[in-house]
Amino acid sequence: MQINDTDLIVQAQKGDQNAFEELVYRYDRNVLSITLKFALNEDDAKDLYQEVFIRVYRGLKKFRFQSEFSTWLFRIATNVCLTYKTKSKEHLKVSINQEYDEDGSEFSYKNELVYDGSSPEEISSDSDLGKLVSVAVDSLSPKQRMTFILKHYEGYKIREIAEMLNCKEGTVKKYLFDAIKNLRKKLSPVYA
Amino acid sequence: MKHNEYKQLLQLSLYGELKSEEQLILKEHLQSCEECRTELEDQKNLLELISGKKKLNVDEKVLSAARYQLRGALRSEHSNKKFIEPLVFSITQFFTTPLKFAVVGATMLLFGILIGSLLFSESSGEELTMQNGNENRFASLNENINISNLRFIDSDATDGEVEFTFQASRPVRLKGKVNDPQIQSVLTYAMLNEQNPGSRLNSINAMDTKQIVEDDPEVKNALVTVVMTDKNPGVRREAMKLMSKFPYDDNIKQALLYVITNDTVSGLRIEALNSIIEAGDKGYKLDNSELNLFRSTIQKDENPYIKLRSKIILQEYN
Repeated sequence: MQINDTDLIVQAQKGDQNAFEELVYRYDRNVLSITLKFALNEDDAKDLYQEVFIRVYRGLKKFRFQSEFSTWLFRIATNVCLTYKTKSKEHLKVSINQEYDEDGSEFSYKNELVYDGSSPEEISSDSDLGKLVSVAVDSLSPKQRMTFILKHYEGYKIREIAEMLNCKEGTVKKYLFDAIKNLRKKLSPVYA
Repeated sequence: MKHNEYKQLLQLSLYGELKSEEQLILKEHLQSCEECRTELEDQKNLLELISGKKKLNVDEKVLSAARYQLRGALRSEHSNKKFIEPLVFSITQFFTTPLKFAVVGATMLLFGILIGSLLFSESSGEELTMQNGNENRFASLNENINISNLRFIDSDATDGEVEFTFQASRPVRLKGKVNDPQIQSVLTYAMLNEQNPGSRLNSINAMDTKQIVEDDPEVKNALVTVVMTDKNPGVRREAMKLMSKFPYDDNIKQALLYVITNDTVSGLRIEALNSIIEAGDKGYKLDNSELNLFRSTIQKDENPYIKLRSKIILQEYN
């Protein structure tokens, strides 16, 4: 019979490493799914994933079961992602689309993934469309983006997202509404 | 209800988030409103387009790699294994002035011994013979004392006497201004030697005041050591933050370079890199051997941002 979360948490709080790992494996796929969609690249997503569980590990002894473990975990995950976004903005003084060569000698630019005036018919492959969607989602503000990812891609209820972001449901609705309004503006040439 | 509010209801209805009474209101409105019907179709199209990305699942290889890295990080979180030897080795390999750090380390060790002897002098190696007049003194020591490492010199009680040694320590409570030298000494010792990372962290945070930053080179040297050697990334991060408030000098620069090339946490490497860049903007330049480190970083570091910034630094010097 599978041990429930509460028992695992109690064991982990006593220092049982296996119990903590079991807890991690129950939720880490969802956490990685969120960080992969939120981060600028896979390496950063793995760093964020690690940061989330290190924070959980450090904070677990103070966890008093006043909320669901999953709610607490995903609140940490959203905080880590939102902090990452803020830091990225502070640090990135050059375009994130700039890229270095392997030998470090020349700068080049990735294709700027913005709408270039092609008609929907001209955007032939799914990958082109996928890139446009990704760029549009990435351009949202951190909170709009996080709300949209949690709602649209991860399927959480607005009530659950409000708990994760530690705000009111009305605020989540506003983020979601604004996110979709902005996405619509950016993608209107290709879906209309 | 205004159109904008109906639009929000449309959106929520597509996500199944409407209450039954709201659904009824929307349904009635849609029957009579061409604009909102168009809007509904429009939003459906948009969400269908975006949902292309929804099918992406987490790649098992990426998940395995992330789990592998996490296990390593968790091990280092609770591991008490000492790593001073490989650290000293890498420092001597890396820096052109290894003697400087050896001196800092030795100074810190002596400093620790000094503080220890000041605090626990009454209980370290003191010989107590249980003769008339000493009972009361021993009793007062015994009230809050922790006894360990008891070793018998003479356990034969046939002659009516035994003799043994033990180590005794007792808790000491200090309260005072944070810039008081004795308080600072204890906090500095704690940030370097305390087993509990939370206590090391609190010691660092307690010293985050302007006066200490301006006055105390001992604290700065201790922070340099913590930045390079503490096994807890959170402690290293806080130490680096406080260290950056001290006037920039060669020791700080070497510590930052060490973090950029050796620290396993990309966030810390980025913070160190940004500090080096800021110092460069203020006129603190890097020499050729230091610039070579950035050439190496471009090749070896896995973090794209660090590679990019390293490249920019090199370009600025060319």
